[in-house]
Formats: sequence, structure tokens, C-alpha cells
Amino acid sequence: MSSFIQILIGGLLQGGVFAAVALGFSLVYRVTGVINLSQGAFCVLGAMAMYYFEVAFHWPTALAAVLSVLSVAAFGVAVGAATFVPAVARLPVSSTLVLTAGLLTFFEGVALIVWGNQPYALPPFSGQAPVAVGPLRIPTQGLWLAGGIAAMIAALWLLVNRTALGRALQACADNAMAARLMGIDTRRMMLLSFTLAAAIGATSGLLVAPITSLQFDSGGFFTTSGFIAVAIGGMGSFAGSIVGGLVLGIAEQFAAYYVSSLFANTLALLLLMFMLLWRPQGLFASGPVRRLDVRADSLVHRALVRLSGRRALAVGVTLLIVLVAIPQLPLPNDVLSSLTISLILFIAVLGLDVLMGWTGQVSLGQAGFMAVGGYAAAILSTTYEWPPLAGVLAAMAISVVCALALSMVTGRLRGHYLALATLTFGLLIDSLTVGLVDLTGGPSGLVGIPSFAVGAFEFDTTERMFYLALGLSAVLVLLLEGGMRSQFGRALQAVRSDQLAAAALGVNVGWIKVSALCISAALASLAGSLYAFNFHFLSPEMVATPRSFEMIAMLVLGGEGTLLGGLFGALVLTLLPTLVQSLALYKTATTGALLVATFLFMPEGLFGRFAIWLSRLGGAGRTRSSGAAIETTAQ
Amino acid sequence: MLEVRKLSAGYGNDIVLRDVDLTVAPGEIVALIGANGAGKSTLVKCLSGLLPPRGGTITLDGERIDGLSARACVLRGVCLVPEGRQTFGGLTIDANLRLGAYVHSQLDEASVQNLIDESCRPFPALLPRRDEPCANLSGGQQQMLAVARGLMSKPKALMLDEPSLGLAPALVSEIFRLIADLRGRGLAILLSEQNARQSLAISDRAYVIENGRIVACGTSKDILASSDVAEKYLGVGHKIGDPKSAKQTIMTARLRKIMGVP
Ligand SMILES: Nc1ncnc2c1ncn2[C@@H]1O[C@H](COP(=O)(O)OP(=O)(O)OP(=O)(O)O)[C@@H](O)[C@H]1O
Ligand SMILES: [Mg+2]
Repeated sequence: MSSFIQILIGGLLQGGVFAAVALGFSLVYRVTGVINLSQGAFCVLGAMAMYYFEVAFHWPTALAAVLSVLSVAAFGVAVGAATFVPAVARLPVSSTLVLTAGLLTFFEGVALIVWGNQPYALPPFSGQAPVAVGPLRIPTQGLWLAGGIAAMIAALWLLVNRTALGRALQACADNAMAARLMGIDTRRMMLLSFTLAAAIGATSGLLVAPITSLQFDSGGFFTTSGFIAVAIGGMGSFAGSIVGGLVLGIAEQFAAYYVSSLFANTLALLLLMFMLLWRPQGLFASGPVRRLDVRADSLVHRALVRLSGRRALAVGVTLLIVLVAIPQLPLPNDVLSSLTISLILFIAVLGLDVLMGWTGQVSLGQAGFMAVGGYAAAILSTTYEWPPLAGVLAAMAISVVCALALSMVTGRLRGHYLALATLTFGLLIDSLTVGLVDLTGGPSGLVGIPSFAVGAFEFDTTERMFYLALGLSAVLVLLLEGGMRSQFGRALQAVRSDQLAAAALGVNVGWIKVSALCISAALASLAGSLYAFNFHFLSPEMVATPRSFEMIAMLVLGGEGTLLGGLFGALVLTLLPTLVQSLALYKTATTGALLVATFLFMPEGLFGRFAIWLSRLGGAGRTRSSGAAIETTAQ
Repeated sequence: MLEVRKLSAGYGNDIVLRDVDLTVAPGEIVALIGANGAGKSTLVKCLSGLLPPRGGTITLDGERIDGLSARACVLRGVCLVPEGRQTFGGLTIDANLRLGAYVHSQLDEASVQNLIDESCRPFPALLPRRDEPCANLSGGQQQMLAVARGLMSKPKALMLDEPSLGLAPALVSEIFRLIADLRGRGLAILLSEQNARQSLAISDRAYVIENGRIVACGTSKDILASSDVAEKYLGVGHKIGDPKSAKQTIMTARLRKIMGVP
């Protein structure tokens, strides 16, 4: 009995932190209509600041805590003003959502540079000795945590519901244009909500750091947990965030105790999937009713620049010739293997492009399909000794089945909820790859994967793998290029522009979305399998959710809806750290920063820039739009 | 006195308003009538600071207000009741009204209460329902709330953009009657409307806007009597605007710009 209560207390404490993160989500969502996926990173930044002020500089705890929260809030103001607020004002919701994923990656990268990759724990505020309440022993830090979070909740509630400022925050969420007419500075309000959320995150981070040790990528964990909590409770509802957080914390603690700590997350994610199916608006639907169709924004689309037919062909052929020649050049071996990895990732990014660039459906779970493909092919060819080719094909079939199952959930969802369901899927696969130890080898990974082979021909050298990846990507680009010109491709683009209008024209929108998801899953799966065969090894973090974000960064950096663009993105993000070894430490931060900067300053991507440049160069007398098709407006 | 001189404005590369001149004196109701897409909303957006003008001046009692932010415009006493009501549906009626006085943060609770009573006097139906969410109100009541919310900012100039939009005919007359009653408050009222007949009936003067230009102005009586307006906006005769000519004007304007001809 007392162990039951002990677990319950543990769950409440953990849930309190989730609730605090969820509150941050809800606050920003209420004011801006965007889920800020970087929310969890503020916990780590708070704990990190606390570590320096308290442990390294030996300042008094109270002073260190106040300074930490203030400095994270100041950082939040700077980052919010430079990236988040302009993005909300300028970009469609889907882009802003992805941009916040970029911010999360950026913050994790910054923490990696500052902190390195080992975990840190802070000393408890008031000593190690727990307080005894009857037979129970409660760590004093738990009391600090509970008290601190309760105080934050109360303060936030008072601010929002009892002050003119709070009313103004709500007005921004409800109707931003009307709020401006009332004399409310909506940008300031967005920045305020972002900063408050950062401060909430920092506070909960430094309160929890003495209980659980944190490391640079714990931000992702807090974001996902807080996100699950807020999705269970109801987006934008403060009460829902708190209940969702506590329910999640308790459920995870019990699952960890009675089932397995490896599965704690899996159960939570299954719970969330169930919620998305049963009640997508959450337990406490609240806040303003928003249009959930990402495409129906009054804002411009994510920018899209494509090359016209003949130029595209010329560029494609040139690129192919260059790539075919590369292994003949005297290059260091690690450059060639990075190129191979870029090409393999490019295959998955191609799939993402079909889904996101052409059909306009944001997916945050592409790495999940890579994992399915990688593990299925690897397990079939090692444990069951299938020929690799059969393994790859079977894995693709399994991935498509997963995609179909996922679309049963997502079929009813649109916009934000759709993106979040794909994120949930990715996280679920993450937790399964870690949890199913017997099948996947668990956290330490799967070893002894053979080389890829077709019949007796083995792709056992880097050069052979390179040509395999190159050949496959070239064929896939050609196939997709043809496909996008067909009736089917036009239907995809119609769905991207306007789902309602597409439906009115007789396009079967549901079917189109499912097909796009299946194509994207099949390509990700193929890439995942090749990835496993290439490394002869596969571990969960090689195909985990940060990889999804990285692939989105590759796509956006390269240029959405261009097919070839993703290759440029993949090359930049994979080759740069190889070429400049000292950059490796900065890779995560750079990936995030590039994603954010591309959205804000070069939404057409590298390839789009290139296309515009090429058409300016080529057609002196022609207008720019004859060389490159540029689509920007929604109406 | 709200004065607009040679105002031009647009979106992106499109110029929508050209050389608009207009004045509204305190205590008078001025109607701005025009067909769909004529530029009425664009004009009032410029006046309320939502859209920075491209050229020309806007003054309130001699003080320049063009190019100011929406907040600065509200602070100086120019307030827009936007097209399509735009009330805060998720908030209570009380919160909507208080947000109307957001720029007057120095007011104490008693003055705010007075202001609410004052602003809602023409719309007594609102007061008993103050704590209900605004989404519960009917379309007409929401329009009244939007006007009352505008009055909460203690404006000198109040602009109403299509207050009759989407209302049943009986409610339309009611709204126009209530607007006519606002005349006693000494406000400068600019009423942008497609419903020419009723807005001319309650206004003192009127401007007719077509393709972003003022094509006629005068007392409402004169405008009502002019055969051109009668034909286009009052449903007399058969010709109801000519979309081709609208396009042509824009195209010739573009050509002129390209060729550098004024
Ligand atoms: N946000 C915008 N971006 C680009 N063009 C716009 C925008 N809003 C309006 N326009 C264009 O400006 C012109 C004038 O529009 P405006 O909304 O001012 O017309 P209106 O007279 O208010 O019409 P209505 O009676 O339909 O409300 C139209 O041609 C319209 O297409
Ligand atoms: Mg209008």
C-alpha cells in the first residue's frame, strides 16, 4: 500500500512538471494559435542557468533561481522577437509549427555546445534528507516542486482571468485584427506569452533538476510529455493542461513500476492516440474555436518555387553526371560515405516532399517510418535470414500498413492535430524501438546486419552503396516527376491549395491524403532499410524523432515541392559536419538555426533560390515567372 | 474634424485607393457608398491605422494621424467598428466592452462602469447579458455590441464598416435607426455601406466611391436625387456596375504607371 502511495506521489511530482510545460503550451497557443514545440527546451535552459549560477559560481540558491529565470526569460524575449513573433505574423500556421521544431533543435544544440552530452543534476534546495510523513518519505525537493508549480498556476490564472492584460492576451487569441483595433499591440502580446512560457519552463526546469538529472536533449522529452499532456487535456485549456499533466505523470510512474520503465512512454502515447481518435479536442475543449485546416489560413502558403520542364531536365542531368563521377575522384572515404548517407536520407526526404511540399500535409513523424523500414528489414535479414531485397520489400509493405493504420487516426484530423498525430506516431515508434528489447536490441541497438544484396551481388563497399543510393534516387526522382505531372499529381496540388475547393471539384481528398502518406511512408521505409544495411547496425536514436525534424530541415532548406531540392538540404546538413570535423559539435544547433532562418528569410529554399537565379540568368527578355513557377498566395 | 487629402493605398503591388479626399465634421453622419470591391473597407482600414497609406494625409482636428499604428489611432480618438462585427466570441460581453476601453488603462473601476452604461445606453438589450459569452448573441446583437465596444474607446471619429452586413431586413432598419441616434453625441461618424438607400436616408452628406476613387459627393439628398447613383446603387434601371470597366480602369492605370504617364 505504501509503495502504491509512494508511486502516486512520484507520479504527481513528475506530472507537475508535465503540467507546467503543458501550461506553457496552452498559454502560447491561446495567444498565437501555434503549438510552440520548443517549450520543453526552456526547462533545460533554466536548469542549465541554475547550474552555472548555483554550482559553478556558488551564488545563494534563491538569488541563483531568480537570476536563472530572468536570464532565460530575457533569452526568450530575444529569440521570440527575432523568430517566433515574425513567423506567426508572416507564415502559415504549419510553417510556424515546423519552425518551433527548428527552435527546439537549436536550443538542444546550444545546450550541447555549452553543457556537453553528459547528464547534470543540481543539489536539492534544502538538503538531501527527505521529510517523513507517517510511513511515507517525501524528498524535500518534491515539496519545492509542488509548491512552485502550484504558485505558478495560481499566478498565471490570476493574470489571465483577473487583469486587463490577461483580457488583452485572450483577445489576441480570439480575434487578432479586432484586438489591434482595440489598441492592443498584438505582437507585444505574442512576445509576452512566449516569454512567460519561457519563464514557466525555466522555473519548472530548475525545480525538477535536483530530482531528475537533465542533459542537453531532455528538452525534447519535456516537449513531448508536455505535448501529450496538453493534447489529452485540451489544447489551450489551463485546467486541461494541469489535469493532462498529472494524469500523464501518474500513468507513466505506474506503468514504469508495474510494466517496465522502457514502456512507460509507449502507454502514454497509446493513450494519446486513443484520445486523438475519440476526442481530438481533448478532455477540456476550450479557448476560441479555431479553423483547423492548415491551408485555410488567410496567410500566404509556404513558398514554392519550381523550375520549368526543360531547365529542370538540364539541371537534373548535370547533377547526375557530377554525382556519377564523384567516386572516381580522389576523395577521402568519409566524404564518399557521407554522400551515400545524404543520398539515402534524400530518399526519405523525397517522400516527405510528396506529403508536405506537394500535398501540403505536415508530417513530424517521417523518421518513424524510417525506423519501421530499418528495423523490419534488419530483423528479417538477420534473425530470419531473409534475402535483403525481400526484407526491404516486406518492410515497405509493413510501413504502408502502418501508414494506413495511422491514416485511420488522422483521417478525421486536420491542420495542427494532423501534424501532432504524426508526431505521436513517431514518438510511439521511438518508444517501441527502445522498449521491444527482444526484437530490436533495445537502446543498445541491433548489430550484425548484413550488406544489402540482390541475388549474389553484394553492395559491400562504400562505392557500391553510393551507386545503389544514387541509382535509386535518380529513378525515384524521375518516377515522381512524371507522377506529379499526371492527374494524380495535380490532385495532390489541389489538396495543398485548398482542400474544400479540391473536394468541390470532385477530388477524393481523403484518398489523396492517404496515398500521399503511403508513398511517403514507403520511401522513408526504403531509406530506413538502406540506412541499416549501410551501417550494418541500427539503434533507436539513429531513426528517432530528432531525425524527423532534421529531415524537415533538409526539405525546407532545399526547397519544398521541388523533388530535387531535398538533395541540396541533405547534402548541406550531412556533408558540412564531415568536411569540417570541428563543426560536428555545432551540427544540432546549426540544423535548427538553418531551419528557422530558411523559413524566415528564404522560404523558397536553396533550390528555389537557384531556380530564380537560373531563370533570371537565362531569360533576359522573359519574365521571372516563365522560368520558375512561383506560387505564394493562398487565395 | 476628420480630414483625408489625396489619400492613396493598396496591397502588395496593387493600388486600390487613389487621391481620395473626404471630410467628416463632428456631429455629422457621412455615408460612404460603393459596390463590392470599390475600396470602402480599404479606406476605413487606412483611417484606423490597420493599413499604412501609400500617399496623402489624414488629419484629426488638424493633427496628422496617417502612418500611425492602430493603437495610436485609437488613443487619438479614431475608432473603427470593422466589417463583419469581429467581436471576441470566446469572451464575455463584459470583457468585450472592457477591451473597447483597453487604451484607457488609467480609468478606475467606477469610471469604467459609467463608460459601459453610457456606451450601452442605445443598446439596452446588452446590459442584462453582460456575463454571457458573446458567441451567444444573435448577429444583430453582436453588431450592437461591436458598436458599443467602439464607443467604449471614447472616440472623436467613429467609422462603421457595413454594419448592416448579413442582417435580416427588420434588423437592418433597427441598426440604421440606432446609428442615426448616435448623432446626438457630437461624434464624427463615417458610415461605409453597400445599402445606399438606407444609409443615404440617415446621413447628412455622402461620398460615392468607385474603383478606389471618389466619383461623387454632396448632401445625401442631392446624391439620392442624382440619376447616376440611383441607377447604380439603388436598383433603379438595370445596369448594376460594370465589372469590365472596373478591370479596364485598373489595367489602364497599370499601363500608365509602366509608361510613366501621370
Ligand atoms: N488583404 C487584401 N489583399 C489584397 N487585396 C485586397 C485585400 N483586401 C482587399 N483587397 C482588394 O482591394 C479592393 C478593395 O477592397 P475593399 O475590401 O476595400 O472593398 P469594399 O468596398 O469594402 O467591398 P465590400 O463591399 O465587398 O466589402 C478589392 O479589389 C480587393 O480585391
Ligand atoms: Mg468592405
